[in-house]
Amino acid sequence: MALASIDRLTCSYPGAPPALREVSLSIDEGEVVLLLGASGSGKSTLLRALAGLVPWFHGGRFEGRVVVAGRDTRRARPADLAGTVASVFQDPEDQVVLGRVEAEVAFGLENVGTPPGEIAGRVRSALAAVGSEHLAGRRVAELSGGELQRVCLASAFALEPRLLLLDEPTSQLDHEGAEAFLERALGNGAAVVLSEQRPAVALRHADRVVFLDRGRIILDASREDALEWLDEHRPAWTREPGGVSVRAGEQTACRVERVSFAYGDGPRVLDGASLELRRGEIVALTGPNGCGKTTLAKLAAGLLEPQAGSVERTGRAVFLLQDPGRYLVRERVDEEVALGGGTAETQRVLAAVGLAGYEARHPRDLSSGERERLALATVLVGDPDLLVLDEPTRGIDPERKLEFAALLRAQAGARATLVVTHDRAFASAVADREISLAALPEAVLA
Amino acid sequence: MRPSAAALVLIGVAVAALVAHRLWAVGGIAFVLLAVCVRAGRRGKPYLWGTLFSAGFVFLLSPLLQSTGYHVLWSGPDVPVLGRLDVTTEELRIAGINALRLAAVGLAFAAYALLLDHDRLIAAATARRSVLAAALATRLVPTLERDAAGLVEALRGRGLAPEGLRGHAALLSPLLAGSLERGLNLAEAMEARGFGRPGRTRLPAPPWRFRDYSGVALSITAIAVAALWL
Repeated sequence: MALASIDRLTCSYPGAPPALREVSLSIDEGEVVLLLGASGSGKSTLLRALAGLVPWFHGGRFEGRVVVAGRDTRRARPADLAGTVASVFQDPEDQVVLGRVEAEVAFGLENVGTPPGEIAGRVRSALAAVGSEHLAGRRVAELSGGELQRVCLASAFALEPRLLLLDEPTSQLDHEGAEAFLERALGNGAAVVLSEQRPAVALRHADRVVFLDRGRIILDASREDALEWLDEHRPAWTREPGGVSVRAGEQTACRVERVSFAYGDGPRVLDGASLELRRGEIVALTGPNGCGKTTLAKLAAGLLEPQAGSVERTGRAVFLLQDPGRYLVRERVDEEVALGGGTAETQRVLAAVGLAGYEARHPRDLSSGERERLALATVLVGDPDLLVLDEPTRGIDPERKLEFAALLRAQAGARATLVVTHDRAFASAVADREISLAALPEAVLA
Repeated sequence: MRPSAAALVLIGVAVAALVAHRLWAVGGIAFVLLAVCVRAGRRGKPYLWGTLFSAGFVFLLSPLLQSTGYHVLWSGPDVPVLGRLDVTTEELRIAGINALRLAAVGLAFAAYALLLDHDRLIAAATARRSVLAAALATRLVPTLERDAAGLVEALRGRGLAPEGLRGHAALLSPLLAGSLERGLNLAEAMEARGFGRPGRTRLPAPPWRFRDYSGVALSITAIAVAALWL
């Protein structure tokens, strides 16, 4: 008998068209199922339906049946399923409840009524399973994004669930961090349903692949069959994009020379780093989490001032932060973009990022991928001379990434572009030049 | 000292400041609390500024709204509804005490928010849901501060740095919307982790020690002394 089964599920959020249409799926004990699909195709909704959060938490219309471990989610609340099911969501900061790691991991165990004498031991085991025993006494606010995501996974592991639901859990991790995270998450023995926008690593571990398109399942196949299907129908999901024809830049738009920087009284993040950006070229700035990529990019764009060294810039610089939520300050999509340009230019930029027709929507009603594109539109408007993008492909599916890379390539002649990214496929699809930053105390490579 | 005992001490000291009516006594309590809060370093800045601003506002405004005392220091114009604006020595003394009381309560809250381990407070609480809600609300201040800084940074990144009071006030609405969205996401994660399910247990907490009981006794004594002699 299947651990979880979904039978002809159609559901929609209040006031919205169906997010899932006639979806049927079954998941066996210990099986690893990889969910693929474009932004807004219904992956997150499917995961929430398996956790019972749809319909209990979100409301809306719900037709069909979801049964998890013999319990119908129309009758069992998400809290009742906790322990059997555990979820890790996309943004770790939005799921952390308590202030210290140990208490945070114990939170779920306390809620499901674990005998008090067992809690401390299970917390330790769960932290050890994700390689984070050393974090037990730390404050959550002091952790990096990668550490926090591992703590969230430990919180899920501690419950010893039979079904683990992971919603783009590696979107904030570098390649090595994502690989280590998935190896730990998928090797725990529980059945796992995982959605991913960077599928290369997950495809190696999956038993089955399900592809969603506008709320419908268009592929449900074993890994081998799925790889063939993806190669034929959705090549962007499996193939590394080809390199670009490299263009040499023209005059210098930004020169960063031997800069050093530390936040407050903390350790130095950068020490003697240099960088030159030329008009007409796209430069990818890569390196592991925490090596100072974002800091160097902010120095280049003028959002930070160096404590030593110098930064020279010509023309107008703009900077796209990692969190697209910070670009949502108006009530309509077009008003948001028009803050930096005229009406005609707003329309042109919205069309360029694939948001034509979204003008009257409220920015907070957009999906995470759509928000990323809106944030990009807000900095593209006004034709900047220096465009600095910090992890611009987070939450964007591979097909949209290729379109995005093509858009940046098409507009590259007008400006110098710096892209901070740990998405290797995207870097090779977009950049003329790559600069790899090493974590201190090693030297900066350029 | 256990966080629950420390919280009771802070409540006791704040109540003592409210019931005391001598300027030097209330000032002394506020000063001690200020010295405690300074231990938090940079993290304490928004709390300290917020408390000082509120206390200063009360000190400046309340003499103008009262009509107490005979030793007039300044006499101003007649204002509709409020009558004649004047400031007396007695009004200044009352304003000073009220401002210091407000500062003491604000600083006691700041010490609670900055220096106590809220997780242990929640674990020890009988009314866990209420204490958890209070702890999450306490975290709202630094979260809002970080979100506001992020919004300003994003606007600067677009070449649109907000200027003046009006420019910054325009950020209040997106800040509130972002907080509500964050709250919804957190509530969803809590529900998925079994929050609200009956039969909850708790991680065993270490027992109280002598110094914890002493702290509670001290806070009761402080309230009694303040009410009777200060």
